[in-house]
Amino acid sequence: MSELTEQTSVPIKKKAKVEKGFLAATWGIAALLFAFILAPVLAVFVQSFGIGNGGFTFEYYARFFSNPSYFQALFNSVAAGTVSTLIILMIAIPFALYVTRSNTYLSKTYRGIGLLPLVAPPFIFSLALIILFGRRGVVSQWIADFTGIEISIYGFWGVVIAQILGYFPIAYMMIESSMRNMNPSLEHASQDLGAGQGRTIRKVTLPLAGTAILKAGLIVFVMALADFSNPLIIGGGENFLASDAFLLVTGQQNLEMAAVLGVFLVLPSFLVFLFQTYILKDHEVATTTGGANNPLHPKVKAAMFGVSTVMALFIVVMFVMVVMSAFVQIIGINNELTLDHFSDTSGWGFLWNSVIVSFFAALLAAGLGILQGYMTARKNVPMKKLTEFTALFGLAIPGTVMGIGYVLIFNGAPFFLTGTIFLLVMNMAFRKIGVGLEAGISKMQQLDVSLEEASSDLGSGPYHTFRRVVAPLLTPAFMAGFVYTFMTSMVSVSSVIFLISPGTNLAAPYILNLADQAAVGRASAMSFILIVIVLACMGLLKLIERRSGTSV
Amino acid sequence: MEKMKKWIVGLASVLVLSACGSSGDNTVTMYTHNDEEEMQSFASAVEEETGVNIDVLRMSSEEAWSRIDSEYPDVNADMMWGMLHSFALVAEEEDMLEPYESDTWDDVPDEFKDPDGQWYGWSYWFNAVAINEDLLDELGLDRPESWEDLLDPQYEGEIVLPDPGTSGTAFLFVSTLMQEMGEDEAWDYLDELDNNVGQYSQSGSAPAQMTSQGEYAIGITWDQAIFDRMEEGYPIDIMIPEEGVGFDLDVAWIFQDADNQEAAEEVIDFIGTDEGMELAAEYRSMVTKPDVEGTIDFEPNLIDYDAVWAAENRERIMNEWQEKFD
Repeated sequence: MSELTEQTSVPIKKKAKVEKGFLAATWGIAALLFAFILAPVLAVFVQSFGIGNGGFTFEYYARFFSNPSYFQALFNSVAAGTVSTLIILMIAIPFALYVTRSNTYLSKTYRGIGLLPLVAPPFIFSLALIILFGRRGVVSQWIADFTGIEISIYGFWGVVIAQILGYFPIAYMMIESSMRNMNPSLEHASQDLGAGQGRTIRKVTLPLAGTAILKAGLIVFVMALADFSNPLIIGGGENFLASDAFLLVTGQQNLEMAAVLGVFLVLPSFLVFLFQTYILKDHEVATTTGGANNPLHPKVKAAMFGVSTVMALFIVVMFVMVVMSAFVQIIGINNELTLDHFSDTSGWGFLWNSVIVSFFAALLAAGLGILQGYMTARKNVPMKKLTEFTALFGLAIPGTVMGIGYVLIFNGAPFFLTGTIFLLVMNMAFRKIGVGLEAGISKMQQLDVSLEEASSDLGSGPYHTFRRVVAPLLTPAFMAGFVYTFMTSMVSVSSVIFLISPGTNLAAPYILNLADQAAVGRASAMSFILIVIVLACMGLLKLIERRSGTSV
Repeated sequence: MEKMKKWIVGLASVLVLSACGSSGDNTVTMYTHNDEEEMQSFASAVEEETGVNIDVLRMSSEEAWSRIDSEYPDVNADMMWGMLHSFALVAEEEDMLEPYESDTWDDVPDEFKDPDGQWYGWSYWFNAVAINEDLLDELGLDRPESWEDLLDPQYEGEIVLPDPGTSGTAFLFVSTLMQEMGEDEAWDYLDELDNNVGQYSQSGSAPAQMTSQGEYAIGITWDQAIFDRMEEGYPIDIMIPEEGVGFDLDVAWIFQDADNQEAAEEVIDFIGTDEGMELAAEYRSMVTKPDVEGTIDFEPNLIDYDAVWAAENRERIMNEWQEKFD
């Protein structure tokens, strides 16, 4: 297969001339990528040296190192990220093993539960955790009654637990898909040669999934490092990088210091990104699907099942807490059923804004991403590497940094874009355009060039071929990019919180604001509606997809 | 594929149409530090009475100020309803406000409004301490009666205080101390209080809520935040420290070059009407119109708070705070 593509792609490469339309599209996309991804990050970098506010200076960096609270923020963020990542991996691996290696109704349910946190704003777990484990939370009370130990969830460990719940699905998804696609005959071979199940998992399965696990770990680490909302709600005043940067901007208008924190947020993400794109890429283990996965030995299975069950229950309890506190007066104090929390007129408007912004962001991200993917894979367009790099880098940039960058560039003259729906759409779209791009490239690599050649031999021009032959084939990739962007945009806060204004407020930042006023019932009610809307939209997409006969 | 295209185009056009349709011409954009709940009730009353639709963004006072200051002269809002008096004075000084003479405010005493109509004080509020008595009993702690009492080591970790970096409530508290004790004494007090503070919250209303939920026994906050929670049935009580508390005028204003100046003026007019003031009085202890009774039924021990001093010294105090406590 690969040889074939190699051979057939040669003539296309020789035909170095690229159609004007695709060339224009390339320049257009490159300009947008520059304006909406690179420029904001560069602006943060420049600002951190005080340029734009009266000359070049290291003063803000000096302050970063001399003020213990900033250093504490760096330490806390890195430490929380590391601990969360390790624990997530320790849970995600058995969880994925269990789900991929048993085919019961329960394991399918677990699969769904494992992904559930994706549809909720990342900080609702903080809320649920406070309800349960706050200083007088339901569970804390029991513990205090029985053991006399007072626990408090506020602070470092609260943030870690909230992160584990929030970022688990990302790691789980990646590890699961790698384990699902693993060739079972390798495990068979190992066991036929006399290795027990445990040994097989250690020596065959895990190494095969190694790249996926490493990748998952790195992505989760970067996300946890950039976590902004959990420290705000459950951090109990502890310093963390992203939330401190946010407070520096919103509370003190100290953009320079915030930019310095931003640089410390971007650097690790950037390194991880480089490592992942240029070093891990070549180590991808070829996987083939060859029948069902190897079933697990009962004892091993029991262990995996145990870990998975604890995690699944934990996630379910969190969601139940949110739903319950949405429907009772004051959870834990006055458990009378009520719908009061839903009579939130402005909240409904913000939800609607979120749907509109996320929809267009998803359309843009998936559309442009796919187009760029096609051109990267097939056309000899200029700046290929650079544009691909930028689009993928967009995925790795912490939202807080993007948000601050957007404020620096688009606030005031000459753009006057802050507070517009347009800027919100661009922000969300370009943070996720890499997903559409990757989906597009990988789809194009699977498609044989001969289809396009046939079309062009039969007399179709290149644009006609793209429209009639390539675009339909890319539809699944488009859908994948669309769904992902839509879902993540609906619940994202860290970047758009800098860009909203009266009239363009969004649901997720609004819920964060409610949580910040400690209005738990109303925050839960809004979260509940948000979750229902995201699930309904996904259902709608599935329906469209079934009607039109394409698959995601 | 064709079908799918149609679906998507159809969906997109529906969304575009509704997005354009939803924002009418008679919309005024607004920043506020009022809590969501009261602000929503205000907004629907305005819409009913004047037909003006309000788009509002709620932030803590300091956040709102920081935003205004960085956006000026292109502030992303037409007006402000609910902000600290001190900020009105700073904004006036920096020429950010549009004067407007509103007739409905005629019978409001002059001390509550700017002579040129640059800002209007519609209500006032004061610092107060929320106390969860159940929790005090459970923990075996005495009920504090004064600011001084809060320094008692028995309350270690049981006090929640908003962060003056974001919250106007906290700034009022800090500058009250400064005006009452003198600056050095006040810093010493805050230093000592810091030992007992379990958490600094971002919003000034949050301590009332956290105390209500029993997360902390004592919350330093403002009057109405406590009354609201009491009304909702939370087991808390309000405590006015013996030394007295600072109060602040809550103001409304129109920004210069507002996109919809006319609608903003209508809103200012509405706030000054009897209806507007009576509505405000449902949510605030005291409003500025004589004869309209607020929610309070006792005499709070208010000090003679100097908002001008607070405005002039705010930046310096804040910087010192950050160096000491952040």
